[in-house]
Amino acid sequence: MRTRPLPLLALATVGALALAGCTAGADDAGDSATPVEGGTLTYATGDAEPTCLDPHVGGNYPQALISTQYAESLVSKDADGEIVPWLAESWTEASDGLSWTFSLKPDVTFTDGTPFDAAAVAANVAHVQDPSTLSSTGYLALAKVTGVEAVDDLTARIDLSTPDSALLESLTQPWLAMESPEALQRPQEVNCESPVGTGPFVVDSWTKQEQVELSRNDDYSSPPADADHTGPAHLESVIWRFIPDSAARYAALQAGQVDVIDNAQPDTLVAAEKDDAISEIDAPRPGASNRLELNSGKAPFDDERVREAFVTGVDVDDAIDSLFFGTAERSYSPLSSVEPLAYSDPSLFEVDADAAGDLLDEAGWTGRDSEGYRTKDGTRLSLTFPVSTNQSIPAEQSLFEQIQAGAKSLGFEVVLQPLDLSSWYGALATDDYDLVSAPYTKVGPDVLRILFDTSGITPAPSGYFANHAQLSDPALDDLLTRASQTSDADERADLYQQAQQIVLESRTVLPLYDQQNHYLVGSSVTGVRALPPVQAVTLYDASVTD
Amino acid sequence: MTPPSPTEVGAGSVVAPPSPRRSAAGGRAGRSRGSAERALRWVVGRVAGAVLVLWAVATLIFFAVRLVPGDPAEAILGGPGSQASAEALALVREQYGLDQPLVVQYLQQLGRLVTGDLGTSWSLRADVAGLLLEQLPGTLALALASLVVAWLIALGTAWWATLGGRAASAVSSALEVVAAAVPHFWLASVLVLVFSTQLGLLPPVSTGTPVGLVLPVVTLAIPVAGFLGQVTRDSLLDAASAPFAVTARARGESTSGLFRRHLLRHAALPGLALSGWAFGSLLSGAVVVESVFARPGLGRTLLGAVTLRDVPLVTGVALASALAYVVVVALGDLAERAVDPRERAS
Repeated sequence: MRTRPLPLLALATVGALALAGCTAGADDAGDSATPVEGGTLTYATGDAEPTCLDPHVGGNYPQALISTQYAESLVSKDADGEIVPWLAESWTEASDGLSWTFSLKPDVTFTDGTPFDAAAVAANVAHVQDPSTLSSTGYLALAKVTGVEAVDDLTARIDLSTPDSALLESLTQPWLAMESPEALQRPQEVNCESPVGTGPFVVDSWTKQEQVELSRNDDYSSPPADADHTGPAHLESVIWRFIPDSAARYAALQAGQVDVIDNAQPDTLVAAEKDDAISEIDAPRPGASNRLELNSGKAPFDDERVREAFVTGVDVDDAIDSLFFGTAERSYSPLSSVEPLAYSDPSLFEVDADAAGDLLDEAGWTGRDSEGYRTKDGTRLSLTFPVSTNQSIPAEQSLFEQIQAGAKSLGFEVVLQPLDLSSWYGALATDDYDLVSAPYTKVGPDVLRILFDTSGITPAPSGYFANHAQLSDPALDDLLTRASQTSDADERADLYQQAQQIVLESRTVLPLYDQQNHYLVGSSVTGVRALPPVQAVTLYDASVTD
Repeated sequence: MTPPSPTEVGAGSVVAPPSPRRSAAGGRAGRSRGSAERALRWVVGRVAGAVLVLWAVATLIFFAVRLVPGDPAEAILGGPGSQASAEALALVREQYGLDQPLVVQYLQQLGRLVTGDLGTSWSLRADVAGLLLEQLPGTLALALASLVVAWLIALGTAWWATLGGRAASAVSSALEVVAAAVPHFWLASVLVLVFSTQLGLLPPVSTGTPVGLVLPVVTLAIPVAGFLGQVTRDSLLDAASAPFAVTARARGESTSGLFRRHLLRHAALPGLALSGWAFGSLLSGAVVVESVFARPGLGRTLLGAVTLRDVPLVTGVALASALAYVVVVALGDLAERAVDPRERAS
């Protein structure tokens, strides 16, 4: 019952575009003109419809995308990766690192009229930390926060249990955006339908499975420091539509039915490149790169030689090129390329199938069974690979099939298991995997601590854990802890580089590419950009010309 | 002017069935009591059957969704790209009763359903009954419009096949097979490509206006029309060569009169019997079509609910679909009775 775009459709779309492209003319002159005031922009998202519009509740990317239009954070990040003021004008870290003091922007009100002040910051942190809010992403990001003190109306002090070098990065995330303390008092169902922020737009109505309607906040005064203009947004309203099918989204963009789409797939991107009327925003998500993780906690990947054979014996470059049509660049880092501290080492991933075969021989996988797979003491060299069909796009699932074929020639059997989300979580929780690809979006290199610290192996009573590589290295743990606590930027960069070296050399990860995030924008729209913290689109500076 | 005896008609339609008007006039006075009893028995049987179907659906859905490995609590807490804390997971399990043994959860669920409480959706955090009421009209409009269009296409091609001679019959037969075999998502993509991208005539995604309904309806109707057309054409051709048709012709009945007054009634019977099935297939087709054309509706709700293991919502959608199916099958039976007097007599 799943819809899957048909390759034929992709071909047909490309063909149709080739025809359409002949008539479309670029109108670059519009870019330099003064933005048009008023008008409605229709945005079509391919991400799942949020279950709640309050980004504190749960906390996933679909929520980040839409809440960026109506809720704002204390700080943001600019295109260079620098932290810039947003609802906070300035901040200082205490000398012991155990508290941060934020000076808040004056005269900001939430769209229900409640003033934004230090008490509001305290109420928001308390809301996220209240277990009954069911915050996941935001909750983890505030793990070291013990409380917020309203020093005066416009000064808030965040107290920490241990120094947290990632605090500012954490606070840029939409899942920790500020909401009206008055509105947060309402029952959760109500707040989910109509969250109240300080942002440039206001949630008017939400028709489930169809769209959310947003209108301009005429009193808006708090854009992030890197915005293009000040004052209210240019657009009068925004219609946020849910169009799950990739081909339908693109067809709607071509037909002018919608103005901006997200989750553009590789085939669509290729088609769009040929269409002068459509422009692309390539905005990789922050945090970890998309990578295969090799479960070093059990056989056969508990043997480093077997891991090395796998990551250097299978050529993934050609497969990525052909399946993503050159729209995704190969990564050699555990971190996303938008992370300023990302460290790459391509030399560790040079493909040498012969050497990989020797490594497998050395590790004792010398036998061959009737199907050509390697064996050791009668056991087949078999890898279980649960694939989340909710999180891996079709091109990525095809890539895994190519990797399966490549591994077969080395003598690995890769058993791909396409699973829905709950079953996939289940396979991880029961340690029933040798390979896995799990995206992780978070701002800053502290994501390494979540993914590779030894403590991440022990599943919580819930079965939840993030160290899928099951990497356990005291030296690495020490580096990650020190990096997360230092306030010296150079030292931090150095520690994170060493940590990434250890991760890459452990052979427990095979980086593939950044977490893909492509927007396509119609020719009638200007001023759309991805807001750097999590690269969610912001429509604050946008305007439509017709 | 007495109605034909059942055996006379049952022996292979030697005599053309009289119109319902005449038979009703002839039979009502003497049989009203018996027919009331029969009607009552029919209604009771239908209701009992419906209850059984609904119970079976609720049970199957519950165990199908819950016995697959995996933890709904993870899905409830935000799904892809979010990372739930252990505390939140534990709280969700307690709140939603997921820490209870499965059998207890099943009985609780059944208890709620018996009292008419469909519960609260785990994923959308809203009342299931309210969600269904919100989403049902869209799907119902889509399915019913598709059923009507499918019938129009099926009868149109059947007419053409009957009157157009051997070549027309062969061509329509081939078209029907192709139409019946076409998958919805492919058809949807081709229609969008032709009518939206190339010709610019129709919107590629739904707009909430009648124009936006055209492509989804046609997408859903074509495969069903293929099936209906096949059975309708076969019985139409059979009827056309039956003695009563020859007799009618001999009486000087025109071709179109023959079709309208005599053949259609025969030809429609197997198709009507299939309408219940067709409606069911339209409901399942709605899952794909609603997603592709971004229409709100039960199909899309179901897809999302299944993905997130939302037992109350999946159960709600399944029960609503089953109920709609039972009603449509009953209506189909009634329609059959209206068209075919043999049904009323038996």
